[in-house]
Amino acid sequence: MEKNAGIDLLQGTLDMLVLKAVSLGPLHGYGVLLRIQQLSRERLEIQQGSLYPALYRLEHEGWIAGEWGQSENKRRARFYRLTATGRRRLEAETKKWNEFAGVVGAILSTESE
Amino acid sequence: MSLRSRISTWWRAVTRHADVDAQVDEELRFHIESYAEDLMRGGVPREKAMRRAKAELGSLAAARERTRQAWGTRGFDELRGDLRYALRMLAKSPGFALIAVGSLALGIGANTAIFSIAKHVLLDRLNVPHPAELRLFEWHSARKSAVHSSWGDWLSTPQQVISTSFSYPVYEVLRKQNHALADLFAFKDLGQLNVTANGEAEVVEGDLVSGNFYEQMEVQPQLGRAIGAADDRVGAPPVAVISDGYWARRFNRSASVIGKTIVVNLVPVTVVGVNPRGFTGASATMTSPELFMPFSVQPLVIPDNTNGPLLTSTKRWWMQIMARVKPGTDAARAQAALNVVLQAAVRSTMPVKKDESVPQLVLMDGSRGMNHMGRHMAQPLWSLMALVGLVLLLACANMANLLLARATARQREMSVRLALGAGRRRILRQVMTESLLLAALGGLAGLGVGWLGRNAILAMLSSPTEPLAVQGGFDWGVFAFAAALSVATGVLFGVAPAWKATRTQVSTTLKESAQTATKRRHGYAGKAIVGFQVALSMLLVVAAGIFLRTLINLDRVDPGFDTKNLVLFDLQPPSSEYTGEKQVQLVQEITERLAAATGVESVAVTSVPPLSDSYDSDDFTPVGAKEDPEKDSAYNAAVGDAYFTTLRIPVVAGRGFAPTDTETSPKVAVVNQALAKEFFPNESAVGKSFRTEDMKSNKLTYQIVGVCADTHYANLREDPPPVFYVDYQQAPGMDWGMTFAVRTRMARAAITPELRRAVEGVDRNLPLTDVRTEQEQIDELTKNERVFADLTSGFGVLALVLASIGIYGIMAYSVSQRTNEIGIRMALGAEPGQVLRMVLGEASWVALIGVVAGLAGALALGRVIASMLYGLKPWDPATLVGSAVLLGLVALGASWIPAQRAAGVEPMRALRHE
Repeated sequence: MEKNAGIDLLQGTLDMLVLKAVSLGPLHGYGVLLRIQQLSRERLEIQQGSLYPALYRLEHEGWIAGEWGQSENKRRARFYRLTATGRRRLEAETKKWNEFAGVVGAILSTESE
Repeated sequence: MSLRSRISTWWRAVTRHADVDAQVDEELRFHIESYAEDLMRGGVPREKAMRRAKAELGSLAAARERTRQAWGTRGFDELRGDLRYALRMLAKSPGFALIAVGSLALGIGANTAIFSIAKHVLLDRLNVPHPAELRLFEWHSARKSAVHSSWGDWLSTPQQVISTSFSYPVYEVLRKQNHALADLFAFKDLGQLNVTANGEAEVVEGDLVSGNFYEQMEVQPQLGRAIGAADDRVGAPPVAVISDGYWARRFNRSASVIGKTIVVNLVPVTVVGVNPRGFTGASATMTSPELFMPFSVQPLVIPDNTNGPLLTSTKRWWMQIMARVKPGTDAARAQAALNVVLQAAVRSTMPVKKDESVPQLVLMDGSRGMNHMGRHMAQPLWSLMALVGLVLLLACANMANLLLARATARQREMSVRLALGAGRRRILRQVMTESLLLAALGGLAGLGVGWLGRNAILAMLSSPTEPLAVQGGFDWGVFAFAAALSVATGVLFGVAPAWKATRTQVSTTLKESAQTATKRRHGYAGKAIVGFQVALSMLLVVAAGIFLRTLINLDRVDPGFDTKNLVLFDLQPPSSEYTGEKQVQLVQEITERLAAATGVESVAVTSVPPLSDSYDSDDFTPVGAKEDPEKDSAYNAAVGDAYFTTLRIPVVAGRGFAPTDTETSPKVAVVNQALAKEFFPNESAVGKSFRTEDMKSNKLTYQIVGVCADTHYANLREDPPPVFYVDYQQAPGMDWGMTFAVRTRMARAAITPELRRAVEGVDRNLPLTDVRTEQEQIDELTKNERVFADLTSGFGVLALVLASIGIYGIMAYSVSQRTNEIGIRMALGAEPGQVLRMVLGEASWVALIGVVAGLAGALALGRVIASMLYGLKPWDPATLVGSAVLLGLVALGASWIPAQRAAGVEPMRALRHE
């Protein structure tokens, strides 16, 4: 993992990324990290220390649910899956993000006259 | 959905702290190992891979903590930390903790005790389903009522008469024509009955109840069956249901009691059921009759021969009626409808004279039965609640004072915390946590103190003849009260120190070296609080003083006869066996036997024992005088020949009764001076005649042959009223039994067997009831005043103790803070005596201001309790001055040790003292 290649995460976007990651199928914590990095084509840098508090916060809110299961290398691991409320939350967040990104993008792309 | 998951995760994090930590740990470990494996796959050596994986995750402990906190446990963890810290602080100063928790426990405990008594007396409802539906029938009429003869509740004020008594025929009409309420049911407190069960004769409280009583009260016996409609028919075999208490006391809770025959006033009655525990009948919530019988047994068990059968008498109003208001019923409309029925029933069953008023029906709340206790005790209880509230306020002030002093001592600690970055809110919370912890500990201990206090007060209020049947056990209401009180107290005394703690300025406190030589104003808040404490104590001490003086005044009242060496007992010859002549003969024989018994000097017989709160009032019209509606009755008593000599009541004119006054000789009477003065103001009463009436409205004429000195009649508070005495042999009837008063030098316990033997010699089946000395009877009369004096004195002592702790604390603190100043004063030539006087003078000022404020409060509040006092005004100068002096002395005493310490300061050491 090349550190200097990473982009710092915007405040509050980690939750959204985690929700997106587990929406594609149940994952354990390390799996979430890998999935996000893979999806971002290794361009996003995630503070590993903040991943687990985020997972627990999302579980506390009831958006994801954790359950013990077996990992690919036959070890005990805690898998997270998206709940129904989590799915609605992800949809709402995605919509909001797209609008926001559109507006900010439009502003930033304005040429001076 | 979201709330549920939030609560469930929070709950898991809080209650299974270790499990959640282990879970996080396992996840983190898995993460590190997986990451390390990935790195190793990329060619990194194992050691290095592990190190790098760990480093990227950061501190494991911090990660674990932050992860767990994601479940919303931060507030809880902080609270736990605060509590742990507060407990450690308390453990470090056990003396402070003991005084704080102790004074709070006393304050909260006293309040809890009084509250639980007040709750029993004022709030407890009858122990039946839906007591709020119950309505008690009551009637009001103008002063001159169509109802003349009543047995039971009868309250007559100058404007009107209020009663809950009805006649049986009126009850029947009301019941038949009632369409608005649920079925009417009736009951009557019979008072004491002679009962022989398992071969032992004793006196038992009994009630008559209607056949539908149990059905309407919705109560099922715990054993056997209830009284039913079939039992309440004329000619039905007599049955009874007994109370749980009586079952336990007399039958040892044996199931074989069902079907047993007991003898009630010489009538065999079959026990058919046992009431459930806690059921007290319909009359009261705190005492229960022991025997419940249907109305149909009345002609057998209490035949009232002077008036004819009670069940058909339209003249005698004696029974109580209740009914349930079912949900959806308009109670006001029901009352109006039943009132119409009552009017018609009165007019159709009894003669109503032109100027007489017909009773108007009022439906009263019946959820607490007839609520005698509640009505009589409401004012005293509210006063006690107020006084005991002051005690708690005092304990609060003490706590505030102690905590303020501590807060000053802890200013350094607070500034260090602030300097290290703690927010003011965080510090406020820490200080409030400590206060609330103290309050909670005090409240917990107070709950225990309250329980003991409650039992002690109940024991004081209970009398041997009528034990209180109060449900023990845990009471959520009382617990909630104590808890709310503790929290309120904690907040009240915690606010000042918390405020002070957050006002700490980091820089100034850390720089301040406590090296100022001038008098500082730090003790100001403390002194204000102590002044407030003195004022509160003053109020409580004054209250204790006036209630004590009331009791002393009552004890000092001269009753007008010699109360020493008098032993009394009651005898209730069953009217089914003893009537008219036989009754007179019985009393005569017993009197003779008693007079001959060892140790007996003389024997008095009376129908109304003096100073026992019993009254008997009858018509009194001097022959030849105009009828005066304002003055047409007088108290009276039917007495034996030796009454005046035995009680040592001087006969001041004419003569007392003599053996020559018999049933056949001319009817004679003795009147007291008060009566002579009222009815025969300017002439001699001796030789005059007057008319009175017996229960059947027969006119009887008596001639006055003597005038005796005044004696207090029913109680000590009222001045001796006009009373006339007749010889019991010439009296119209003795329905309620007789009281024998025996003059003896022997102790009550020693003479009781002699008395019993004398009575048994005449009739084996007659139990002696309520053997007591005259003094015991008077004590029973002043019981409430005694309890009041005891409790208020207790509060007063508590107040003085709390106030002296407060004064001592603040003076000791102030002296220790001023050691430097005092040292300089002494170095400049002040004498130890001057320093002593200075400190004492300061304490005196605080005490003086407090005393004056307390005096003002006492004067303002005195009016409220004026009616409970006897022989003094609420602004009794002796009590006020005495209390002020007492408080002054306590203030000086409490500041003596700090003053001595100040006077003993050595200048050199004081100046070096940091």
